[in-house]
Amino acid sequence: MKKESRSKTEVSVSLKKYSLEAVRYAAHAASSAARVFIRTSGRDAAVVEFEPTGKLPGAKIAAAFKAELEDEALRASVYEANRELRDFMILKALSASEAAQKPRQDDSGLTPEQEKELDALIAQVESEIKQEAAAGASADPLGITKTWEDKYGAKKSRKKN
Amino acid sequence: MALKKAAKRTEPAGPPQLLWRRDGAECLVTNDFGHYAWLKRKDFDLLLAGRLGEKHPAYAALADKGFIRDRLDFDGLAAKWRSKNAYLNSGPGLHILVLTLRCNHKCLYCQSSAAGVGSKDTDMSAATAKKCVDFAFQSPNPGITIEFQGGEPLLNWEALKAAVLHARAKAKKAGKDLRLALVSNFSLMTEEKAQFLMENEVSICTSLDGPADLHNRNRVFCGGNSHAATVKWLKFFQARHARQVPEYRVFKPSALLTVSRYSLGRHKEIIDEYVKAGLEDIFIRPLAPIGYAKNLWGQIGYDAAAFGKFYLESLDYILKLNRAGVTLREKMASMMLDKIVNSRDPGYLDARCPCGAAIGQVAYNYNGDLYTCDEGRMVGWEGDDAFKIGNVRQDPYRKVMTSGAARACVLSSNLESQPDCARCAYKPYCGVCPVYNYETQGSLWGDMAVNDRCGLFKGTFGALFAMLKKPANEAILKKWVAK
Repeated sequence: MKKESRSKTEVSVSLKKYSLEAVRYAAHAASSAARVFIRTSGRDAAVVEFEPTGKLPGAKIAAAFKAELEDEALRASVYEANRELRDFMILKALSASEAAQKPRQDDSGLTPEQEKELDALIAQVESEIKQEAAAGASADPLGITKTWEDKYGAKKSRKKN
Repeated sequence: MALKKAAKRTEPAGPPQLLWRRDGAECLVTNDFGHYAWLKRKDFDLLLAGRLGEKHPAYAALADKGFIRDRLDFDGLAAKWRSKNAYLNSGPGLHILVLTLRCNHKCLYCQSSAAGVGSKDTDMSAATAKKCVDFAFQSPNPGITIEFQGGEPLLNWEALKAAVLHARAKAKKAGKDLRLALVSNFSLMTEEKAQFLMENEVSICTSLDGPADLHNRNRVFCGGNSHAATVKWLKFFQARHARQVPEYRVFKPSALLTVSRYSLGRHKEIIDEYVKAGLEDIFIRPLAPIGYAKNLWGQIGYDAAAFGKFYLESLDYILKLNRAGVTLREKMASMMLDKIVNSRDPGYLDARCPCGAAIGQVAYNYNGDLYTCDEGRMVGWEGDDAFKIGNVRQDPYRKVMTSGAARACVLSSNLESQPDCARCAYKPYCGVCPVYNYETQGSLWGDMAVNDRCGLFKGTFGALFAMLKKPANEAILKKWVAK
């Protein structure tokens, strides 16, 4: 699986066993110690070449890459098994916090002129409502403003003596 | 909430959602809810295979923490996630007003790229300061912190006074919880100014880089002795804090430590200086190659390993002092511990996901220009407005919050889309800085595999988790965040 030439080290990875994505991420983890080049070799293999940039020898970097590749395969299975569950949990948390959120106060997104117009409009509507209420205050044909007691007298106690 | 007994199963439950870090014969596992556990390799393999049996001694604790896939307490864990990420719904809470770029110090590492004392054209006007306060109050956050910075903010006293009074009046009307904070080198502090600040409940923070020779080497003050002024006023505010008056609260003053190359190897002297000054917190901050410090990096900078060593030696020494009965906490460790131990957001904007840029803080330059953060403003001062999000006189709140720079910072600091971070066991507690990435690696995303800031954070988390493993240390560290 491993081939060394001068300072470079190559590792061949079976793409039947690992996805190319897993190879890429595991290789990226090794990029702090080496320049990494990835190429495919036929349909079923990838070759990862490490050119060390520091003191760590190629063989050690390759070993760390292989360990990372195993972990990356595990991460993929953990992710796949939990994707929906994780989405559900975060959605549950987020939706609960949305419900608990207070109504917004400031920042209407309007310009000062638009805000003035809106204030004038609200004032006009409020004054119309007041006027209507004042005009109809005495007229209450259905007796809506009367209490139950006013209309039918006080409720009699059903308590037995 | 008590968990129901799981139904008898025939199939393994499958692996739980978790992140891990292998450390010798053990594995540190963490999850989205901020829980963590140390497992032996064999148990880790069983857990991942979904075959860790109910009789296993670690089973109950792992189930409580959301590591057993078919024993999840949905409500409890969702509440944990909410509390850990509470900032997502609150809008910017920190508003940094740069009242002037003028400064009477010439600190070696000054990130704020200060202007000379004579250049008054970099002063914020009182009218702009009030506009900035008005803008800050548009944030839906129920708690607003306004921090006055510079340059040296006391050089623009009129604007500072106007902003403080306006903010206090505004908070009363809006019913918001307002905190005011001043970051000053104290060289221009007078009793009259101090009285005004105390009466208006402005908390005070200064810089203290260690003993006099080190402090004055880092923080050059042509007009006098920077260290002497700092210590004098620290003592003044401490004395006033000790004898409170009924009319207002006097806060305990605090100090920040910036570690330059000259500080390395002197951790004991620096920490002793903090204890001597009566301070109970020390914030050990690394230099960032931003602004003026970038140009002098070869002279005063260091790599992540050098800072990591300094930081760990400092933590060890602080714990030793704690064991001897001295009260002292390291601020960065405290904030990270608050996340690890309490699943709480300590308000540390640099270690959030997404980071605090715009959605957690706004920096207001002297001319009313708005930036994602103070570091973004410093990049702007160098002539690159990549992090400018608007102007307080021209742009409405909504436009600022949805500006290109704000959105770019949110996207690039989302750890789910950072390939290394999404796989890192420290992800539930960490955060990246797009400004740092931009300045040091040329892109907002950066490359965490070779990112010094990431190296520093990993070192710090590694040290904290290792310390938490030892019961004696664990007890002390938990006390730091037991509030």
